[in-house]
Amino acid sequence: MITSCQLHQLKPGQKAIITRVGGPSALRRRFVEMGIVKGETILIERNAPLGDPVEYFIKGYHLALRKEEAAQIEVQLFGGAE
Amino acid sequence: MNNSTTSPLFRLDYGGKLEREIAKLLAAFEEHKFDTGRYPKRWLAIKLLEADADVMERVQTVPNSASVLALAKQGAEHIKDMLGDDVDLVTADRRYGYINGVVRQSLQRPLMDRITLTDHIDNIVTHKWLGLPVFFAVMYVVFRLVIDVSSPFLDWTDAVINGPIANWFRFILNLTAAPAWIHSLVIDGIVAGVGGVLVFVPGLLILYFFLALLEDSGYMSRAAFVMDRFMRVVGLHGKSFIPMILGFGCAVPAVYATRTIASRRDRILTALLVPLMSCSARLPVYVVFGLAFFGARAGTVIWAMYALGILVAMLAGLVFTRTILKPDVSSAFVLELPPYRSPSMKSVLIHMWENTREFVRKAGTMILASSVILWLLLNLPWGVSEQRDSYFGKVSGAISPLFAPLGFGNWETGGALVTGFMAKEIVVSTMSQIYLGGEEAEVPEATTLGEDLIGIGQGFLEATISSGKILLSIIPGVNLVDEEVEREDTALSIALRNNFTPLSAAALLVFVLLYVPCVATLGAIKHEFGSSWAVTSALYQTAVAWIAAFIVYQGGRLLGLG
Repeated sequence: MITSCQLHQLKPGQKAIITRVGGPSALRRRFVEMGIVKGETILIERNAPLGDPVEYFIKGYHLALRKEEAAQIEVQLFGGAE
Repeated sequence: MNNSTTSPLFRLDYGGKLEREIAKLLAAFEEHKFDTGRYPKRWLAIKLLEADADVMERVQTVPNSASVLALAKQGAEHIKDMLGDDVDLVTADRRYGYINGVVRQSLQRPLMDRITLTDHIDNIVTHKWLGLPVFFAVMYVVFRLVIDVSSPFLDWTDAVINGPIANWFRFILNLTAAPAWIHSLVIDGIVAGVGGVLVFVPGLLILYFFLALLEDSGYMSRAAFVMDRFMRVVGLHGKSFIPMILGFGCAVPAVYATRTIASRRDRILTALLVPLMSCSARLPVYVVFGLAFFGARAGTVIWAMYALGILVAMLAGLVFTRTILKPDVSSAFVLELPPYRSPSMKSVLIHMWENTREFVRKAGTMILASSVILWLLLNLPWGVSEQRDSYFGKVSGAISPLFAPLGFGNWETGGALVTGFMAKEIVVSTMSQIYLGGEEAEVPEATTLGEDLIGIGQGFLEATISSGKILLSIIPGVNLVDEEVEREDTALSIALRNNFTPLSAAALLVFVLLYVPCVATLGAIKHEFGSSWAVTSALYQTAVAWIAAFIVYQGGRLLGLG
């Protein structure tokens, strides 16, 4: 089953495919520059000690985003919890 | 693809709609005889559709550009209507799509990701429970290193400038039979001013060394990751934490440390809040007043000053975030956590040298200039003998009524606060000079050049040794440093008790904590962000200081503490 949700709702260890990148255009530009584009696979690695921001693994590197910004990214969960 | 005439071997297809707009623009280039210069035509057409700010600016100077630019704008709007996205996002999408295709065809990734050393380190430094303790431990060590290890060298610099170097100038001036006022200008104005700049140098060198280490090793990004949630409460960025911590030592290096923050808005907000962290120069003021008025409770009073500074910084952060420094997209937290690397010593040393040199050049000019101005104020009108009659005394007298509602409206305090603008610790020395009369100028012992040089060398050696001892005492349980016994300056305490009540003393401490950052800090803010932010910093802090001291003094009187 494929479930669509926002990136910030996922838990560490989950893996997803990006389906849509939203937000104001300047923010989308930042995302695109960092390789956050439709079709990319993204792994949720860990929350910061205070819960936010969250560390992701995408395109072979580690990236930290605040939940507020991650909420602009829509994803499809990859085969449930692994 | 440097040459616009050769046809490229590869051309990415951006899709029918976008390709049509590109073709239209290329036709327009021909039609208007538009000179694309050294840019390939297709590349330029794409950049114009993307509305690339840099390219647009360059193109504006080319003849016939207006009609081409208008056409590009129209095309970009047309694309946005049809595809619902800005052209630069559409093109980026196409490019990544193509790259993904190539990668999928040619690269085979192992199924299991290799666990790297970086992953192992990150498992500890960004760990749910360990992350914060590790961060605070790193900050503690860096803070101790920057502040404590540099302090023997700072004293050494100070001693060399005010000892041998001042003496050499005196010696040369004596040879030229220059009038007394030139002596005074050179020694008390210029040499003292240059000294005021150079005492920061040892601290800055050590600070930049460690900042470069943290940054180049990759830990800085982790620190930002760990602290971001906490700093965001007051509108700051995770990376703002390090400058704030350094502010407890000295605001000047702390303002420069904001350079590690990417967004200009976040940097400015951090620099505006840093001077509210109670720097080490303010401590002597707290100690002298604390011991004179609060005796055994002096420690609590000093602690309260530090806490008040942090509290005011948090409130000011909230206010700025909602008024003149609203968060913008540049503040978005999109941060790469790079693999750990061992920093290159060469790059660390270059970083250290260039930043320090820039401080001496830029902030230094401002400190030197204000030192000379202060000297002029103290010595004019011509031949003035009493401080009270100099322009300095007049200025102090003129502004002192402003402080009356705060409980310290006399010219002596006004004067001490004016000199405190040079450096906050001077508040105490000015008061002792005014209340107790200036100490007789020490007649320097006659020394030869050789003795001086040996003395300078010995001093440096001693500074290195005591700095080494301090370095070792950072290790818990090791203590090689003799605690300095705080001598109570009884004469000054008595004089202060005659002029202040405990309540007005408390109000004065609050004022000294919060009022205008010292000239060196303002110099650094001006250097980094321009005059208007330096003025903002000076005005808002003075206003906040006045209000806070007013509340303390008048509130205290209402409660019957006066």
